[in-house]
Amino acid sequence: MVKRLSLILTLALLVAAMLVISMPMSTVAQDAEPTPIVGAFGGGETKISYWNGLTGSDGVTMNEMLAQFADENPEFEVTSEIIPWNTLYAKLQAAFVANQPPDLILMHASEVPQFANFGVLMDLGPWYAGNGGWFDENDISAITYSGMQYQGVTYAIPLDNHGRGLWINTDMFDAAGVDTDPATAPDNYEDWVTLFQALTLDANGNNAADPDFDAENVVQWGYVVGEWPRVNFLSALAQHGGEMVSPEGQVTVNSDAGIAALQQTKDLVFEYNVSPPPAGFDTWQGFASGAVAVIPTGTWFRNFAVDQTDINGMAWPQVQFGAQPATWFGIHAFMLPASSTPEKAEAVQTLLQWISANQGTWAGSGQVPALLSVQASLDAVNYPSNILLGQTFTDYGILDYTSTVTQEMYAALDPELDGALNNLKSVEDALNDAAERMQQVLDRAM
Amino acid sequence: MSARANSAGNRNWRFTLTLKSRETLAACAFLAPFMVFFAVFVVRAVVEAVRMSFYDWHILRPMRPYIGIENYIELINDDVWWISLQNTIVFTALTVVGTTIVALAAAVAVTRPIRAQSFFRVLLYMPSLLSVGAVGLIWVWLLNTQFGIINYGLSFLGIRPVNWLGDPGLVIPSLSLTTIWWGFGFPMLIFIAGLQGIPEQLYEAARIDGGSNRDLFFYITLPLLRPTILFVTVTGVISHFQVYGQPFIMTTGGPGRSSYSLIFYLYQIAWTAFRMGYGAAVAVCIAVIMAVMTSIQFIVLSRRIEY
Repeated sequence: MVKRLSLILTLALLVAAMLVISMPMSTVAQDAEPTPIVGAFGGGETKISYWNGLTGSDGVTMNEMLAQFADENPEFEVTSEIIPWNTLYAKLQAAFVANQPPDLILMHASEVPQFANFGVLMDLGPWYAGNGGWFDENDISAITYSGMQYQGVTYAIPLDNHGRGLWINTDMFDAAGVDTDPATAPDNYEDWVTLFQALTLDANGNNAADPDFDAENVVQWGYVVGEWPRVNFLSALAQHGGEMVSPEGQVTVNSDAGIAALQQTKDLVFEYNVSPPPAGFDTWQGFASGAVAVIPTGTWFRNFAVDQTDINGMAWPQVQFGAQPATWFGIHAFMLPASSTPEKAEAVQTLLQWISANQGTWAGSGQVPALLSVQASLDAVNYPSNILLGQTFTDYGILDYTSTVTQEMYAALDPELDGALNNLKSVEDALNDAAERMQQVLDRAM
Repeated sequence: MSARANSAGNRNWRFTLTLKSRETLAACAFLAPFMVFFAVFVVRAVVEAVRMSFYDWHILRPMRPYIGIENYIELINDDVWWISLQNTIVFTALTVVGTTIVALAAAVAVTRPIRAQSFFRVLLYMPSLLSVGAVGLIWVWLLNTQFGIINYGLSFLGIRPVNWLGDPGLVIPSLSLTTIWWGFGFPMLIFIAGLQGIPEQLYEAARIDGGSNRDLFFYITLPLLRPTILFVTVTGVISHFQVYGQPFIMTTGGPGRSSYSLIFYLYQIAWTAFRMGYGAAVAVCIAVIMAVMTSIQFIVLSRRIEY
């Protein structure tokens, strides 16, 4: 009898464990309002299939714009599919091989060389004003225009500049007696360390500069190095005057500049105790729960910060660890398959003209509209982060290295950065290993 | 005259078929639809993959030069391949052993004559119904260093937060734990079927001879379950050796490359770098390793099997 009771008790405990385990999923399901993965807008005769990777709140904004377009242009029907970026690029390859690509694709400009190299993208040069078209290349920054091109051919129409900056918890800044004005942001590593130390607190309320600071019991981190380490590294590398690949085609992430950039970042974790190691720390939730004072993130963080947290926050420019400012940014850009029929290209052109004319609406996604005239028209009350970060991209933004194998090189770099920042490897070993693998990739593509 | 001759001919033809031949024909007829699909979608794909592994094959590049065994030479010198192989072997060993023990224990528990037996069987099977995406997301939160309920529970015991998915020494066991919770339901059903096939008289005779419950389990249940254990472990090794979703969703292979699995690496090669030829070489090697491991299991576990 006792055995039977203990058996039932054991099983009951298993039941309870399963119910508890199931709770987070049901909570998420109640709270989240997922962006529709596939949306059909309008019901007209002219149909446009459109793939993009806008899985965040920017996807909501894009769908709203498409709905508005369909309202104003009832002869169109736009079918939009939102696919996570990595999956999107894999699906695109298969779609091109099967000769069934979508009519319109939103991609990162860094993907232009890879796809253009295989001749699957349409030359959109005639759509630019310099060639008699409608899109004014003088209304985008020079670096944005360069990102649309590969080997002298223009393959894309830019939608936005999206890139790195900081998001700060202003209440924590006030409590630490730090000015929140972005103009007061430090311009050297030592001052950033001092700032992060002032913002890092242990359970006893001591900050990281205090001799009694308990590094094993931190309740508030000044900074987090685990938020997309690659683009932070590329920014810091450029700040130290380095580059990922030299003009001679030599991978130089393990240069003195690269070692300095990564060592400084690693020291924030293991030397100054102002950041947790990347592994196992959820940076966004850390910021949202009030455990992080400064998060290096991007323009896309705006709607999350505003809509999904109770934190009083604002955007700041990217940290500057080297002698010169630099921040990584990317470009969302529209491309068409080379196999488009003239009729389909004409229809897509109508849609892109409308989207370009309404780029101001796109600012609501948090991203910075690509058109400089639209950037200039944004009001500072509603779009402070777009304006602040957009200016940094124009002034000292850096793009990804242009090659057909950039993503493959990143796949070699990312685990090494992660290994170094989690103290699994020394900075030198990690960057040397990364450089060796990246060079193999690059040499194969040459 | 002619019709009669034909009729006689047909009759003769029918009578020349032996029973065995007719059974063979019937078996072939039933198997044919499957074999057609198997040949087109499996055999052809395998042959094509082996062929691809000898080419520098990029999905969008029209030129695909023959490069002999260069992909295999590169594989042997690829340190990430060896890291992934080691991780996968550790993960598979932990998960197969863990799943077998948990599934057997659960099967023994729910085979006992208890109240609501069916309810508990269904309940214990339920995690198996979840997708890997849901399981991954649930366990990422459970194991979360800052907000996870497991660390929260441990804090009452005075244990500092454990970095389950961030510690290179813990990440594979954590993924294994997740997989055991998710996957023990199906082997449990297999074990239940195996347990129900053991004659009750054997237990009665052993009890009369003074055998304890422990003796019954180790000298009757376990030996007679050997074919079931063979099935569970062989299918478990094949399944868990191909782990992909858990590291992809829960760790993206990190920290560093501490949770890279072979299929995770294969996906990166094929669908991030789009190197289908090299990816095919990796796939072929994975298949060979799995075939060898399965053969070893059959040899070791088939000994002294009680049918």
